[in-house]
Amino acid sequence: MTESALPPAAALTPTDVRAMRPLRRVVGVAAACAGVALVAPWLLDTYTLNILIRAIFFAMLALTVDVLWGYTGFLTFGQSAFFGAGAYAAALVFTHLGFSPGLAWLALGAALLAAAAIAVITGWLSFYHGSTALYASVISLVLPIVMTQLLFSGGTFTGSSSGLTGYTAPDFSLEAWFRIAGCVLVLLTAGAWLFVRSDGGRVLAAIRDNETRCAYLGIDTARLKIVLLVGTAAIAGLAGFGYASFSGVVAPELAGFVFGTEVIIWVALGGRGTLVGPVLGALLIEWGSAYLSGSLPFIWKLFLGVAFVLVIVLLPQGLLPPLARLVRRPWARRQSATDAAGMAGTADTAVLVESPVRAVADRGTPVIELAGVAKHFGSLQVLSGIDFVAYRGELVSLIGPNGAGKTTLMRCMSDGAERSAGTVRIDGHDIAHAAPHACVRFGLGRKFQTANVFETLTVAECLRMARVRIDKPSLWRRSTTLALPPHALAVLKATELDRKLHVEARHLSHGEQQALELAMVLALEPQVVLLDEPTAGLSLDERSRIGAVFTDLCVRFNLCLLLVEHDLDFVREISTRIVVLHQGRLALSGTVQEVVASELVQTIYAGSTSHD
Amino acid sequence: MDLLLDILTTAAILYIVSAGLLLIFGVMKIINFAHGAFLTVGAYASLVAARIGLSPLLGLAFALLVGALIGMLIERVVVRPLYARPLDAILATWGLAIVIGQVITLVFGREVQMLPSPVNGTFAWPGGEYSAYRLLLVGAAALLGTALALLLTRTRIGLVTRAVIMNEQLARGLGIHAGMVRFCTFAAGAGIGSLAGALITPLSSIDPNMGVPWLVNAFMLVMVSGVSMVSLLVATLVFGAAQVLLSTYVSPVLGGLAIAVLAAVTLRIRPKGFSRD
Repeated sequence: MTESALPPAAALTPTDVRAMRPLRRVVGVAAACAGVALVAPWLLDTYTLNILIRAIFFAMLALTVDVLWGYTGFLTFGQSAFFGAGAYAAALVFTHLGFSPGLAWLALGAALLAAAAIAVITGWLSFYHGSTALYASVISLVLPIVMTQLLFSGGTFTGSSSGLTGYTAPDFSLEAWFRIAGCVLVLLTAGAWLFVRSDGGRVLAAIRDNETRCAYLGIDTARLKIVLLVGTAAIAGLAGFGYASFSGVVAPELAGFVFGTEVIIWVALGGRGTLVGPVLGALLIEWGSAYLSGSLPFIWKLFLGVAFVLVIVLLPQGLLPPLARLVRRPWARRQSATDAAGMAGTADTAVLVESPVRAVADRGTPVIELAGVAKHFGSLQVLSGIDFVAYRGELVSLIGPNGAGKTTLMRCMSDGAERSAGTVRIDGHDIAHAAPHACVRFGLGRKFQTANVFETLTVAECLRMARVRIDKPSLWRRSTTLALPPHALAVLKATELDRKLHVEARHLSHGEQQALELAMVLALEPQVVLLDEPTAGLSLDERSRIGAVFTDLCVRFNLCLLLVEHDLDFVREISTRIVVLHQGRLALSGTVQEVVASELVQTIYAGSTSHD
Repeated sequence: MDLLLDILTTAAILYIVSAGLLLIFGVMKIINFAHGAFLTVGAYASLVAARIGLSPLLGLAFALLVGALIGMLIERVVVRPLYARPLDAILATWGLAIVIGQVITLVFGREVQMLPSPVNGTFAWPGGEYSAYRLLLVGAAALLGTALALLLTRTRIGLVTRAVIMNEQLARGLGIHAGMVRFCTFAAGAGIGSLAGALITPLSSIDPNMGVPWLVNAFMLVMVSGVSMVSLLVATLVFGAAQVLLSTYVSPVLGGLAIAVLAAVTLRIRPKGFSRD
């Protein structure tokens, strides 16, 4: 912690050294594992080697399921389909075209391409703005069923239900196969390990935690998930290619739903979200199955089923994390003294750096313009004929009784699919039917009513998510600095969040979470900020502090703030203009004096405004 | 005529098979992946009933009872801790399906068994004839649908259940024991699943994994139906018709995929599926 307060220097700073440490550790462990893979063939008998080589290809598949399910929260039954696609691509090339080294490369290309192409279609079907997690899982269930049926109906081309056998495949020795497959698995695991811990990989966790917030940080989550699916599908296809080349047999079951659920069992038992757990799960369970399913076929499967149910109910994190804790405990105690300082630091603390804000045009230019905006649910008219313009440097408060349509109006400004009629322009861009992430790109920032942050991410990581759009995150390492615009930094300093960068967001107080969300929104460098009841649930002291922050944002940084508020006293203190929404229409717009003195507001807020 | 009857009977079978799953999904918002296993349980229950000499009708009652009892046990032990984790509930119930399948394999062996149909032959009328048992299933589906509808709309239990479906928090605030409703629902859903298994056995062979192909279709139908028994009826008719027509005129493979693919596409275009609200 003390280190992180140091200013960044040109030479290798302690933070740089610390950032290198995990990388070096991963390379070391990976090299050791690869060494084991190279040596093992001398120690194992032929039967075990055979079993393990297959298991290694399955483990690669398990790895992809863990990235999708454990890290991104997308429960997929369909990765087997990509495995099957890769396997069949290889088997089809070898069966119908024959075998040569050149054709082997062609088969590999076909395997990757086939898997990726199917993933593009699946991804387009599964992920779109507003799709649910359950729906994506449903599609992932349909995919392997379609795949197997297509393979069944392929006649002699795909070998129908008996699959393809007897094709010539790459002729390596068993030992060579083991070494190649083992090293590829180690490489993939290490790569995945670096990826999920990198700044880019943390986006997956952000999507899992809170997809809506991601979208309102300008991240196109649907596209990201499609890209991720295509990437993992290619790896699954590679594993399938390896499996088909090694075993010389492919069957439709490889692409099937039951195999897809088996992969989930390996991942769940090993430990979702640990990468190593699923790999070990696949290797051990496949190895155990080979030995036990011969002697105790049904009992073994029964045992697996019972273990699976128990783990899901009692140990959702799988077997690896508790086992790792058991092993680590005595060892950690000795280490704790030396590591105490490092622990807080390595967790993830980047040095805060100020990044210049883009030059903003003159005060007084319009930044959000609504014309004829209306919204109805069926026959219920919620908003009608809203014409409204807000300018840079303005702090406009939107008031009105409950049910006047305030939050609906904010939604219409930030999501092109929401309104029923009219146009919305943000910083001159017509939002048309743009999804929230696109509206954010036009210069919009939206803070929700209830604190909306990424629960399992640290404060620094949350802020980095807001910067994903501006500073493209690395896919394999963590940055040692976190560049934020001055107003976001000011909010962090004012709320002392800059001292809690390594704390997970769920451990923050309610007020701190609100401040964090505000800082995240500002980190987007927006032109116009929508704030839905920013003072709800805050103490009087916090309220006046946040009021000062708002004023500062308008005056110093020329932002346009639009807030929905119930607290008329607060509104009077800070607003430059007040807009009254009443029964779905803009009833009034004017200076604080004009509006507060108006008859309408007196009636609506009867009693709540004192005549002072 | 035959085609129309094919569609009608297919829809009836689909309705029977999906009703239990829908009941559980509607009330508990949990997808019971052990539903296929309950179908299998029902099939074996009717097999046992036939062996000990119970009449086919008593065999159905026996299947319903066995399914409901297993459902009660599972709700208590496995499903209850997972209400807050719906995706994990899918997985846990899938694990249960494996366990049930293996236990059945251990007890009955993995070979395929046959159970003669209680109603043999065809139902004939001037100008045509049709499998009598399939026609009987239309009646069974109608009976099941009516019974469920009456249960949900005309009884106190149904009223309470609907309250939980609509707004569980409010229902709880009104003093409704939601846990009890869920317990009963799961038992009923499992029982109906098992009953469905017993009803379809005369049409298919019995083996420990017979439930899996049914599960997927039932699951997809429930996904497009939302929580309404009426939309389920519409969905089974539409997709049943698509299945029959595609199988007859295009290819049986396409017909087999019809429900899964069409349901997925329906949901992509209209996330609410066939439910009205």
